[in-house]
Formats: sequence, C-alpha cells, structure tokens
Amino acid sequence: MSTLAQPSLARSSHIDASNRGLSATGILRSEWIKLRSLRSTWWSFGIIFAIQIGMAVLFSLTATDRFAQISGAEATNAAVSVTTVGLLFGQLVIAVLGVLVISGEYATGQIRSSFMAVPSRLPVLAAKAIVFSIATFVVTLVSIVVAYLVTMPILAGVGVQANPFDGALWLHFLGAAAYLVFIGLVSLGIGAALRSTPGGIAASLGLMLVVPTVFQLIPAAWSTTLAEWLPSSAGRNLYYWGGTFEPWQALLVMLGWVAVFITTAAVLMKRRDA
Amino acid sequence: MIEAQSLTKRYGQRTAVDAASFTVRPGKVTGLLGPNGAGKSTTMRMIVGLDRPTSGSVRVNGHFYAEHSAPLHEVGALLDAKAIHSGRSAYNHLLALGATRGIGAARVREVIDLTGLQAVAGKRVGGFSLGMGQRLGIAAALLGDPQTLILDEPINGLDPEGVLWVRGLLKHLAAEGRTILLSSHLMSEMAMTADHIIVFGRGRVIADAPVADIVGQGAVTSVRVSSPQAAELARLLAAPDVQVTSASGSTLDVAGVSAATIGGVAASNGLVLHELTTVTGSLEEAYLRLTADEVEYHTQSVTPEVVR
Repeated sequence: MSTLAQPSLARSSHIDASNRGLSATGILRSEWIKLRSLRSTWWSFGIIFAIQIGMAVLFSLTATDRFAQISGAEATNAAVSVTTVGLLFGQLVIAVLGVLVISGEYATGQIRSSFMAVPSRLPVLAAKAIVFSIATFVVTLVSIVVAYLVTMPILAGVGVQANPFDGALWLHFLGAAAYLVFIGLVSLGIGAALRSTPGGIAASLGLMLVVPTVFQLIPAAWSTTLAEWLPSSAGRNLYYWGGTFEPWQALLVMLGWVAVFITTAAVLMKRRDA
Repeated sequence: MIEAQSLTKRYGQRTAVDAASFTVRPGKVTGLLGPNGAGKSTTMRMIVGLDRPTSGSVRVNGHFYAEHSAPLHEVGALLDAKAIHSGRSAYNHLLALGATRGIGAARVREVIDLTGLQAVAGKRVGGFSLGMGQRLGIAAALLGDPQTLILDEPINGLDPEGVLWVRGLLKHLAAEGRTILLSSHLMSEMAMTADHIIVFGRGRVIADAPVADIVGQGAVTSVRVSSPQAAELARLLAAPDVQVTSASGSTLDVAGVSAATIGGVAASNGLVLHELTTVTGSLEEAYLRLTADEVEYHTQSVTPEVVR
C-alpha cells in the first residue's frame, strides 16, 4: 500500500487567490512562527525569567541591611537595583539568542528557504528584528515586574517602601527592558554580518565583556571616556540613572549602535550570495 | 518558462557557469544533466535569485525572480534538502514559509499528506533521514502551488517507492502545463523522467535537445554477432561504411549494417550464428560521450583498462 497520495494536487482550494502577494504582516507572522517554534527561544527566555527573579530574591534577602528604613526616590532606586540585578546575566543570554536567531538560519541552510520566499531579503531582517524585539521586551518587562512583586514584601520587611504608583519606577523598568532589546539587536546585527554561530557569539560576548575591560586597562582618559560609550556601559544608564548619560542620551547612543550594526548587516545581506 | 541568456557565474578564478543560454518550456519535464561541478546547482541558485550572476541574466515567466510579488506561487524550488532549520518541526517549517504570503495550516497539511510526511510532521527536522528531508523539500516546493518547479537532485536519498512517486508527480505537473526543471547526474533517471535534456559540462551548455535526439546523436547503434566462423563472416561483411570490431574470437561488433542484413549474409553463405543482437546506445553512453572532455573531477579506473 502506498503511503503517498496520488499526485492530484491540481489547484489547491486552500490557497486564497486574492491574497497572493507578499505582505508585511505575512512576513512578520512567518518570523513569529519561526521564533516560537525553536527550543533555543524558550530556553533563553526561560533562563532570563528565572535568573531575573532568582537573583532579585537572593539580592533582596542578603542585602536588606543596606536599605534600612528608606522611602521615596531612595526606595525606588533600591527596588530598581534589586529587581534589575539579573540583567547582568540576562544581557549575555539575550546576546547569544540575538546571534542565534539569524546565524542558526545560515548554519542550517534555512536562510535559502527564507530568501526564496522573500527575494528582496531585507524584509526578512526587518521582520526578524521587530518580532525578536517585541518578544524580548515583553519577556524582560514581565520578568522584572514579577521580580518586583516577589521582592516587594521582602523589602517591605526591612522598611523599604517603594511606591508602586511612582512613575519613575516604571520608567526604570521600561528602560531595563529596552536595554535588553538593544543588546539583542546589536547581537542580531553581528550574527547577520558574520553568518556564523560560534563567530557571532564570540564577537557579541567579546563586545559585552572583553572590550570594556580592554578599554579600562588602557591608562588614558580617552580610553575611559570611550568605554562609557560602549553598548554595555551606555545602555546601563537606561535603567540605572545618575550615570554618565541621561536616560534619553543613553537611548540615542543605543539607537546609534543598533543602526550601525543592523545597517552593516543589511548591506551585506543584500549584496552577498546566500 | 525559464529563459537564461549568457548566464555566467565566476567564483574568483573559477568559472562555475560559462555563458549558458537556454530556455525551459512549460508543459514538459526538462532535465539538467551534467557531471558533479558542471554548474547545475549554481544555475538553479541563480534562477531563484540566491546567487547573483556575474553577467548575463535569467528570467522566470519574463521577470527576474526578485521582481515576482508572490514568488512561492510562481516558483517552487528544492535546492538541497538542507535548506531547513534542523531544530524546527516539518509542520512549523512549512507554516512559517507559507505565512509570508498567507498560506495557512490547511494547505500545509495538504502538502504534508501529499508527500507522505503525516507521521513525522511534528518531529524536528534534525532527526530526518535523507529521504524524509527530500520529501519535506518537495512539500515546501509545492506549497505555493507554483507554475514553475525547480528541483535539484530530487530523487537523491528516496526509496524506490519515492522515486516512482516523484517521477509520476513531475509528469503529472508537466501535463498540467507547468514548467518543470530538474537536475540529476543519473542519466538513467533522466531517460525515465525527462522529455527534454540540457547537458552541462564545465559550466557550458553542450547539448540542448529532446531525450530521443540526445540518445540518437550521441550513441552508435551496432549489432553483436556470435559465430564459430566469425573470421569468415567478418570478411564477407567488409565494406567501406561497415565497421567490424572483434570483441573476442567468436564475437563481432558490427556497425553500419542491420541485423537483418547480417543474418541474410550468414544464411546465404551457410554460416552458423549463435547470437545476433541489435545494441542501441543508451542515454548513459551518449552522455559519457558528450561529457568525456568536460568532466571536472576525473576518477582513476580501478582496473588497468580505460573506461570507455
């Protein structure tokens, strides 16, 4: 008995003849299906969620002596520093995932299927960046809010009363989620330009961990200044206020980094053979 | 309809495709035949816009591939079975591919049924055998119900049932008026499936003709005669346009004269015949003859004698 259907596919009734063209929503939906159908996505986001909450709990339980009896802006800052401490680890996870979402396509040959479906190519990169950004933003924000809710009673126990209706608190949280989005997009650009998972991860983590250290080791003022502009340093000002940059300045610096990496990736993607 | 004009692709010093011009017409199965490294896959990649030609052009239905608003509907391609993320299930791969132009789950299930992948559709592609990967590649190519189908070595890794199925499918699709281009280095497969053959050798088109013509022009028909009086028969058959070669003491290969004539000559001279067989050249012989000088990777024969 044949397991194969007879080749009578004729004109399929399941293809809507009126909707034949490529559409932005179609490409976005395609990238969303791709993102949600890989285990690496769920592992990475799961780790970010767990780390964010786990480290916040650990930090609040062990460092409560430092925050005895504070309120107002001071309390808000304390709550923010407790709930965002996990980002130090989360940024590395998102850097790896950012590389993977595109380098995985090159490593497996999937990119050829993607480019055959969307021959102009750049919509694939754009849709991937948008879907990945939204997912990262939502997961990070939810993780931070849950971390805040979980640590609130612990902090309240030592007298830290962060007002949940303080707008600054939520601006901090939004900044933290935006920070991971920017790090992810820089890594996505690196992955798309290098087209290799090991190379992309090495370059991306190198930019996050090694380059700042190198700049700090150089005993010159310009080196210290430049180190402040790196994505991992400047971006921190989005959720840790009072640093070198104002939050809006940090936002512009990060947008600049994303523009540089994504534009480079786009130019190379358009020009190279797939 | 696929039209290539002086299509050329160079990788550094190496020329993969060298000024290839050809037309693939709808309504029949066209085979792209050639030894490894002849430029078949590169040509196909240029057709679907993955590789940019160094010079020349190739159009599908009058447009460059990238200009099609609904490429999946125009062209379905199986370039190699590995063009799929190994961590994703077959179902999700097809769903993501179809989503780009609004093809939904119903059509995805349809091509899964069509290619016999029901049992493994939910499994990750990384665990697929070569044959299952090919079926998934064919399912992806059929997803948009395309007018033009391009398949690079589609039967590679398929079981005999799968081979028969692909052969039937391609003929069926061609009969519906679609344009079918497939590549293979298996000449026997081409003889069974294709109506028209384009032979590639070192990136150049060295033949472009119906299957029957390729077999006819490339291979010589000869007659194999076996007789205890072979030497005498050879003497009687001798003529300016007749070639007689002796395979062994009692066997002759005769070209330029029909089996009936040889039988007549033997009978009228009272010679005993043990065998009288017409040997028609196969596509394989024709192909080897055509590409003898064009093979990029020559192999050494394991026996001292030279392979024809």
